[in-house]
Amino acid sequence: MKLDRRTFLTASLGLAAGASTTALLNRPRYHVSRKVPRSRVAILTAESYSHNLENVLYSGLELFHLDLRGKTVLLKPNLVDYIPGNHINTHPLLVAAAVDCFRRLGAKNVLVGEGPGHQRDTELVLLESGFREELRQLKVPFVDLNRDELVMTPLLATYTGMKRLWLPRTVLEADFVVSMPKVKTHHWSGVTLSMKNMFGVVPGAKYGWPKNILHWKGIQESILDVCATVPVHFVIADAIVAMEGNGPLNGNPRPLNQIILADDPVAADATCARLMGLDATRITHIRIGAQFLGNASIERIDQVAKVVCAPANPFEMVPEFEHLRVTGSARPDS
Amino acid sequence: MHDIRELNHDCVQGLIDRQLPDGGWPFSSHTTQSAIEPTALALLALPSSSVRERNAAIRFLLHMQNANGSWPAFSGDDAGGSGLTGLVLSALNRCCAQGMTTNRAIQWLTESRGWESHWLWKWKFRTSDRHVHFDPDKFGWPWMPETVSWVVPTAYSLLALKHARATSRQGLVQLRISRGVEMLYDRICPKGGWNAGNGVVYGFRLAPHADATALVLLSLLSEPPNDFITASFNWLEQRAETCFAPWSLAWTILALDAFERPTALLIDRLSSIVDPRNVNDCATLAVVSLAFCCAAGSNPFRVAHET
Repeated sequence: MKLDRRTFLTASLGLAAGASTTALLNRPRYHVSRKVPRSRVAILTAESYSHNLENVLYSGLELFHLDLRGKTVLLKPNLVDYIPGNHINTHPLLVAAAVDCFRRLGAKNVLVGEGPGHQRDTELVLLESGFREELRQLKVPFVDLNRDELVMTPLLATYTGMKRLWLPRTVLEADFVVSMPKVKTHHWSGVTLSMKNMFGVVPGAKYGWPKNILHWKGIQESILDVCATVPVHFVIADAIVAMEGNGPLNGNPRPLNQIILADDPVAADATCARLMGLDATRITHIRIGAQFLGNASIERIDQVAKVVCAPANPFEMVPEFEHLRVTGSARPDS
Repeated sequence: MHDIRELNHDCVQGLIDRQLPDGGWPFSSHTTQSAIEPTALALLALPSSSVRERNAAIRFLLHMQNANGSWPAFSGDDAGGSGLTGLVLSALNRCCAQGMTTNRAIQWLTESRGWESHWLWKWKFRTSDRHVHFDPDKFGWPWMPETVSWVVPTAYSLLALKHARATSRQGLVQLRISRGVEMLYDRICPKGGWNAGNGVVYGFRLAPHADATALVLLSLLSEPPNDFITASFNWLEQRAETCFAPWSLAWTILALDAFERPTALLIDRLSSIVDPRNVNDCATLAVVSLAFCCAAGSNPFRVAHET
């Protein structure tokens, strides 16, 4: 291959930029540690989206012995947009099941909140995705986090270089935040799991649609800063039908028939990555998150239900994230 | 059929009831933080008979203007400026506010631009970051400083600048209008219509959104007819057939009405799905009120164009 001066210069600059970014990311930049000695994850089997999910979910939640009496629980599903036929959102029946379960567990209030990053008309997404009807039947309040009252909040990690973010009061005042991602690939961040899902708490009313500042400051860095500042107390990940390929909007459905519960977002995401056939340690926000937000190592995660079983065929990825796929003897459960 | 005038009266009363002591409106009626978008939209929606409420809103907006001429996104926001500056300027222009306020805002709008216009980022988007199809030479306005152009702030800015052509910065205003219009045509979805601003990503065509499409069409009202506008209207009219969300439906009505397309059926549908007492979002309530006004032949966006 002939290497001209222009190509060489561009490649060198790219290499230098990449090396310095990696070096910067590896420097600890957090003022909080939520890491506990061990984390718990439960992988539950669910064959389809049905009203039976409540029983499946409740039996899984009982394994965690959560004390929610008197607490306000905020469920944060992943609602991006509505595209007929595309499995891009956390399924409304799973969210409805979670509302019922947390009420049964004694929560004082259960709210559902989300700030879609692409579609400005949140009510349209709720209506067309079937959420509005489920929420109406359950009489559960929904908070559009894009348009909530905002509070300037100092960031507890500074990987982006930002010192603060305006965040919704509803999120900051919740006692127990449950991230409920759809398990998906993502063409900018590799995956969108419980940590990336927290982008939805960053308000569009301040940061716009999409929340472009988070992309400019670095997606991986922004995930770390947001998750350091807004604690995720629990994860319920929708992998009954996941998404592979060109996510988060245009990927292909990939049924895994599983729901992943965890008391630690890093452990949840590392487990989901393994279930997708991906190397969790190659996903930057999981690897760095494991320094202070939770546990990614298999040795520090107690699988309280099923064990992780990686798929024979790892999830399809866009070319930039092809390196995340684990094949052959390097299978994550091996 | 519902009585549109009565419903609109309820919308206006709902807005009046929710106005905050500082003269602004919050997004959610459960909160007390005034935000710029619902306030500007409410100012456009309030009838001239609501003198006290309109004056309070105007005072609030004038008070909120940043030193650099822009407007923030909400009360207490940073002073760098937001993509809603064009909307506020349009609303104030409708109320005949002029002078220093307008001049400073126009100056800020002519100077504010998406970061893709910077040579370094142009180079990045032309060489290494090419997954989103767009031409960085065609730029508009960002949601906030230090980010790239997006469709909604660009449409709001165009609405303001097109109404403010008689200024001392005429040449610059015209240039920014041209660039902004080019940017909107560049970011159009392949079959017409607009979303936040990404028509094609990773080779996939993304779907348009009704509210963004309607707003862009309003900002293109004075442009010569072309295939982009025709395709977008076709898409919007088709989308409207299955749209039952008040915010998107109301924006659609405003756009179709401004271009003198039939809206009676859509207004009737809007009246059947909206109970103003149950609309929690003040911005939505204001846009619904504006859409109901179309039934009486009043559309502030069409008037702005005609004047």
